[in-house]
Amino acid sequence: MAFVENSVGAYATMYAFADSEGDRPTTPTPASRAKRFGRIVPVTIMVLCGLFFTLPLLAMARFSLQNVPMIHLGWSTLFKKWSFSGITRAFGEQGFRDGLKLSSVLAVGTVVLTLGLLLPTALWVHLRVPKARAFIEFLTVLPYVIPPIALVAGIRVIKPHARWFLNSDLSLIPFYVVLALPFTFRALDAGIRAIDVKTLVDASRGLGAGWVTTMRRALIPNLRTAIISSAFLTATVVLGEFTIAQVLLKRTLPQFMAEYQSREGQGGMGLALLAIVATTTLLAILTLATRKRGQAQPISRF
Amino acid sequence: MSALTFNSVRKTFGPIVALEGLDLAVQPGELISLLGPSGCGKTTALRVAAGFEKADSGSVSVNGVDITNKPAHKRNMGMVFQSYSLFPNLTVALNVDFGLRTRGIASATRAKRVAEMLELVQLGDLARRYPHQLSGGQQQRVALARALAIQPEVLLLDEPLSALDAKVRLSLRDEIRRIQTTVGITTLLVTHDQEEALGIADRVGVMSSGRLEQLASPNEVYSNPASAFVARFVGSMNELPAVVRGADAVDVAGETIITPSARTQIPGTSILLLVRPEDLTLAPGTEPGLQGTVTSCTFQGAATVVGVRLDVLDVLVNAHVGSSVAGDLVPGQRVSVRIDGTRAVCEVAAAPIEMTEEPAPAA
Repeated sequence: MAFVENSVGAYATMYAFADSEGDRPTTPTPASRAKRFGRIVPVTIMVLCGLFFTLPLLAMARFSLQNVPMIHLGWSTLFKKWSFSGITRAFGEQGFRDGLKLSSVLAVGTVVLTLGLLLPTALWVHLRVPKARAFIEFLTVLPYVIPPIALVAGIRVIKPHARWFLNSDLSLIPFYVVLALPFTFRALDAGIRAIDVKTLVDASRGLGAGWVTTMRRALIPNLRTAIISSAFLTATVVLGEFTIAQVLLKRTLPQFMAEYQSREGQGGMGLALLAIVATTTLLAILTLATRKRGQAQPISRF
Repeated sequence: MSALTFNSVRKTFGPIVALEGLDLAVQPGELISLLGPSGCGKTTALRVAAGFEKADSGSVSVNGVDITNKPAHKRNMGMVFQSYSLFPNLTVALNVDFGLRTRGIASATRAKRVAEMLELVQLGDLARRYPHQLSGGQQQRVALARALAIQPEVLLLDEPLSALDAKVRLSLRDEIRRIQTTVGITTLLVTHDQEEALGIADRVGVMSSGRLEQLASPNEVYSNPASAFVARFVGSMNELPAVVRGADAVDVAGETIITPSARTQIPGTSILLLVRPEDLTLAPGTEPGLQGTVTSCTFQGAATVVGVRLDVLDVLVNAHVGSSVAGDLVPGQRVSVRIDGTRAVCEVAAAPIEMTEEPAPAA
């Protein structure tokens, strides 16, 4: 990586030299300057990106976790009056507990429905109609392309005819399944392609296993990593979705957070920060846990 | 009654005909290898037997029982695949145990059988390893143990050696044969490697375009090929343009060669005479026979392959000469070539105009 960047930097400077000074030899050789230049550029970009991501988070942390009036938040008050009281106060709200409960139920329901629908579909496509894979993949990214507002407009159309369904809190699940499609299908598909599903299925069936046993003993254990990641990604989508819950008037966790934010600026911001930290930690754990699993490694040939 | 029978099995994949009415009967305890170029339908035949593909028409039966419509998991076939098909999440022992478990056999019996099978393939001490901790050859032996553990009626081997390196391939080939004869199991092996097919099988079935061209002992297939295709595919052949002269004689550039294969040809027909390199004899100097110049000598241990360009026909032929004799031959040397036509094969030559693929020049 570093090598590639360095050489790209080197080429860029060499061209610059060719333009400005022709072939005349110069005291600091172009190579040494290029080398230094090549190191400075990526480091600068890294630092800038780092600041771009961390500064807002630090600002959030100071605003929400320091009991200092905003006007006094300067260098002198950097280490004063830090406390989690804003967040703990939010925890005490009935709306928080209800929202967390509903969002958790929705997350579990969405994960179950998503996997139940997509795992067999992805396997079926892979085994029986591999030519359709590109098409299915295109279908699953549609929720990316079509803005959620279009979905919302759709809901408005069906609302008068499906009140019995939309009145239930669980009616969000099908919408969330659709929203999570771009992440879940890709995660499963990548996992399926990493193992030789066709041979494993043939081997299992040849040994007398029906489809259920084949799924349970030969496929799911070897797709564990893919299944876990798609489940996590789905849960993350559910815990962050706002628009559809708003339209259907459901009191999910993001709904509560938005409402609380408008009422209790500091505590609301604290909750938002906590959500970011929690999600990041979850994804980090997921990445580390799945990397250590031996099953997903390609089967060694010799 | 044969152990495994294909009865005019036909199978197509869209426009591609994989099997064109395959008839094949494997005798109990016999090892038949199906040999052919890729796309000849040999793997399809195996997959139809295993139940992974459904024949369009025709039937498959095992020990006289029609299994054409039985799904794969209800058939009693042991299969070893080309790529390593062990379940990566299970240990060696659990892999071998897999088929026994699906059959609901008591655990004490299963444990005993797993140990027996691992002993048979000489991997008893690796029972607790995972597949990725094994070499390719070891993985294939576990796959063999797993296939045999369920005491299948027929063992199906789908190019089990092709992913291995040359040395392991050779030793595992002998190992497979040893185990096959020990267990006495009816076996169908699919391979594109003729050395493998000829070296291991009781009978070899040479396939081409979904048909069985010849089914005979390895020696018979090599020395008495049923068709020009078999002759070319198994071993190597020199191709000499010739004209049929009489009941069992052909004329190659003025030399008359006695060959029984000319009997079925009409005198006067232009043919290609296919002759094995070991049926050419070289003599230095100008003795009777076709004259030519040595172009190359490739030492191959016991034999040396000598390339000779014939003067009259301007074709290059290869001759297998014992290395002790070939020492006298050097490139550029004039030699005379004599042809033993006993095992030669006649192929009716295509019309000369079709020989060239270039379009006719515009008038």
